[in-house]
Amino acid sequence: MRRMSMFPDADPAHAAFTEDAIKSEMENEEQNLVKELVALSTTDQIRKIRELPMSFKEKKHVRTQVMEFKSSKQSHQFTRLSDCSRNMSLSIRRFGYSIKSARQTLELWHGIMKEIGGKFGSSVLNYFVLLKWLLMFNIFSCLINFGFITIPLLVYGHTPNITSKVGFRGLELLTGAGYFNYTIMYYGSYSNETLYGLVDYNMQLAYFFTIAVYMVLCGIVLIFSMASSFKKNFALANPASNNAWQLLCSWDFSITNERAVNQRKNNLRVQLKESLSEKAHRERQTVSEKLKHYGIYIGSWLLSTSLAVGCGVSIFYLCQYEDKAVDTETWSLLQEAETLLVPFVVSLMNMVIPLFFSLFNKFEHFSNQRKQIYAMLFRNVILRMSILGVLCYYWMYMVPQKFTCWEPMVGQALYRLVIVDFIFLMLGSFFGEFLRNVIGTTLQPRLGVPEFDVARNVLEIIYAQTLAWIGIYFSPLLPVIQILKFFILFYIKKVSLTRNCQPSQRSGRAAQMKTIFIFLLFFPFFVGALSIVAYTAWSLTPSEQCGPFRGLNSTFSVIGEWIDEVDKIPGSEWVVWIYQNVIRSEIFYFLVTLIILVIIYIFWQLTQGRKELIILLSQQIVNHTKQRSAEHSNGRQSHSNAVVQVLLARQQVEEEERRSASGVPVPSDISTSDAMMQAMLARQKAERQDEKFYEIPNEHPPSLDAVALSMAARQRAEEEDEYWSITDFNQSNPVNRFGMQARQRAEGNREDEPNDALSPVSSVMTQVMQARQRAEEEERGQSTRAPGQNPAPSGSSALIQAMLARQQAQNEYDDGY
Amino acid sequence: MDYTNEPDCKLPLALIVDMPELKENPFRNRIVESFSEDGMGNLSFNEFVDMFSVLSETAPRELKAIYAFKIYDFNVDNYLCKEDLEKTLNRLTKEELTPEEVELVCEKTIEEADLDGDNKLSYSDFENMISRAPDFLR
Repeated sequence: MRRMSMFPDADPAHAAFTEDAIKSEMENEEQNLVKELVALSTTDQIRKIRELPMSFKEKKHVRTQVMEFKSSKQSHQFTRLSDCSRNMSLSIRRFGYSIKSARQTLELWHGIMKEIGGKFGSSVLNYFVLLKWLLMFNIFSCLINFGFITIPLLVYGHTPNITSKVGFRGLELLTGAGYFNYTIMYYGSYSNETLYGLVDYNMQLAYFFTIAVYMVLCGIVLIFSMASSFKKNFALANPASNNAWQLLCSWDFSITNERAVNQRKNNLRVQLKESLSEKAHRERQTVSEKLKHYGIYIGSWLLSTSLAVGCGVSIFYLCQYEDKAVDTETWSLLQEAETLLVPFVVSLMNMVIPLFFSLFNKFEHFSNQRKQIYAMLFRNVILRMSILGVLCYYWMYMVPQKFTCWEPMVGQALYRLVIVDFIFLMLGSFFGEFLRNVIGTTLQPRLGVPEFDVARNVLEIIYAQTLAWIGIYFSPLLPVIQILKFFILFYIKKVSLTRNCQPSQRSGRAAQMKTIFIFLLFFPFFVGALSIVAYTAWSLTPSEQCGPFRGLNSTFSVIGEWIDEVDKIPGSEWVVWIYQNVIRSEIFYFLVTLIILVIIYIFWQLTQGRKELIILLSQQIVNHTKQRSAEHSNGRQSHSNAVVQVLLARQQVEEEERRSASGVPVPSDISTSDAMMQAMLARQKAERQDEKFYEIPNEHPPSLDAVALSMAARQRAEEEDEYWSITDFNQSNPVNRFGMQARQRAEGNREDEPNDALSPVSSVMTQVMQARQRAEEEERGQSTRAPGQNPAPSGSSALIQAMLARQQAQNEYDDGY
Repeated sequence: MDYTNEPDCKLPLALIVDMPELKENPFRNRIVESFSEDGMGNLSFNEFVDMFSVLSETAPRELKAIYAFKIYDFNVDNYLCKEDLEKTLNRLTKEELTPEEVELVCEKTIEEADLDGDNKLSYSDFENMISRAPDFLR
């Protein structure tokens, strides 16, 4: 889309110096713009007009022109139908706009997030945006689970086979066992029958497909958002332009708080100073210092990995110890409460061990802050993954052997994890932010007010969401708990943030961090959850006595049975064929993988080629401008040569004047005009050289020659004039008029060529000639008044004026480049 | 200022920069000036609407980049020369950097972003750099 030129082109060919030329050019551009716009569809038109960098009035003007154009084009068509369709499309569009604006006002927490972004900046805002996004996932899951699994069961009133022996005790809210065990909360109470009612509703298929479709949809959404985030924030990022970026792009314009603004200013200053000194420092490091740094890095990595592995192993032994192969119905209160031990220890580890990691941080020196955050994130991820991995292993291998109805047990374990995690999040917020604030301001002022640790908090909500994803299969109503949890968490964090924290000290790259977070969400966590669920569905034997898949060999065999039934329906062989040969065959997946690998390789090579192209093009830009500036300086040189010549000529004249103070004015005049003519000729030569450089078509010589002709004519006129001036100057008028006409002709010639790049030059010449004319009039005036006086000085003053005017014009000319 | 009887009145600069949304913005004067026709910062209603429409979240990015360039261009010559960058830096850091540091930072900035070698940043240089920095305009 061609923009209206807000910035005058640097190309000298377009440097129009008269107002009319500028106006006509602008009108031309506007006409072209209107023509472009008319050719588009209406929505495109509206979008393009919105993007124009013009003021409101001008945009309205363009829009009315476009509408006039369109209506004049369509006036000969059949009006009634087109009118109707136009009105309808207009009203549909207006309706769409009003829905869009209504949606924006109804958006959840829109105002709060604006406030947070204004006070604390974009990186903290990222946390809340992610929280809201995950909440949407859970709401969606809840809706489909309720809609497809729970409500049909409730409606048809199938009670579970196993009745509960205990009533509702308060502890269930925490442990999820006991009374809850036999409700629709868990997998165990779902029936495996086909419900007969309005339609035959196969509960098994419903359960399986709902969960499968939800996971697949989540995966697709995550992949797409990750890819688009990568494209926007990573692919084009140039890591080399650090300083320029800091100066021009790093300012967060959404901040409205005075304290935050001052902080930002301080931080920017500190950062700039640091980066300036860092570069100096980095060059000064000796070999031994480098070795020491590497040693510290390796040591801390080893330590953190071993810590994580140690935690995992200890959780495993704890699970085994806590294991009681007793049937759940006969648990006493104390025994039930003991089941909370494992989640408690898990959450405690997740909270305390990262503090050790940050302790290691104090000894390590990272070259920039982003690497520090990445390292810390990686260690935390390893810790949590190892703990989760151990727990999943325990659930997949140990639990099915011990309990007859094992899926609800896993569901309960997950429920407990979620609840205890929530409690610890609240506690963490209390200790980490509130108490730290109190300590930092009153007891130990050196510590200062805490900052909101975005990375740690994001990791916590990602972990929480992973638990929910694993738990959906075992406990379909877990998303409800998750929704409540995230909802409350949002408000707690917001309050804690506004009361206790200060904005971040360093302005990190918020957009890149967001990409990393989405990537983290996808890669270890979502993929892990998906693989656990898939493994359960594929390989593990469902329990015999409870749940929708009882009696089957594996959950996946539901599909097999369904396909068998479909086979009986005539005309659906293709479904069966697809199932047998595409989904169940391994060759299909092998081929698909191979094709995808080949495509990836091709795209990778494309990217490499494009990178090289970018380097080449930027080199070309640099070369091109260097060339242009070199030519320009050459042209200037020849111009300055002409100026030097003129000045020399003037000096000659002045010497002559001094020598012949009382001489006849005529020869000096002639000599000055000679000097002028020399100057003009020199300039002409220079300009012709310029023409060769700029390859401008040869339209100038005629105009210049016309000017030179007129000059010659005027010179002759002046000579005659001077001859006659003392006697009768009235007769000089027609001669002058002749000169004027010649000049006007020349000017007319000139205006016919609007692309005259040397129009400043010619305008200079007109100035020169005007100055000369003025000088002559003065001379004439002076000669009538005092015939004996020397007109030469006034002639030379006119000459000086002409020279000055020319210099000025040249300066403007140079700046225009 | 009677808006009903003279709908063509212009708000003075001093009143506009007192708005809570703009009060703490270090570039508030430049922002208002670049949207006013007379260059002095007095906005008519249409210009006021223009300003906030460009500053809103839903404005297209190219539009924001164009106006950001105009805001940073203090001497309105359509180039970001070194003086412009120095003034920007001073406003962003509360003038606590020493002049040598200021000069060093500005030189480095021009070095890194100037593609056509004229020692100033034209709009295309600026746009090129912006397109590589996705954090901008958040």
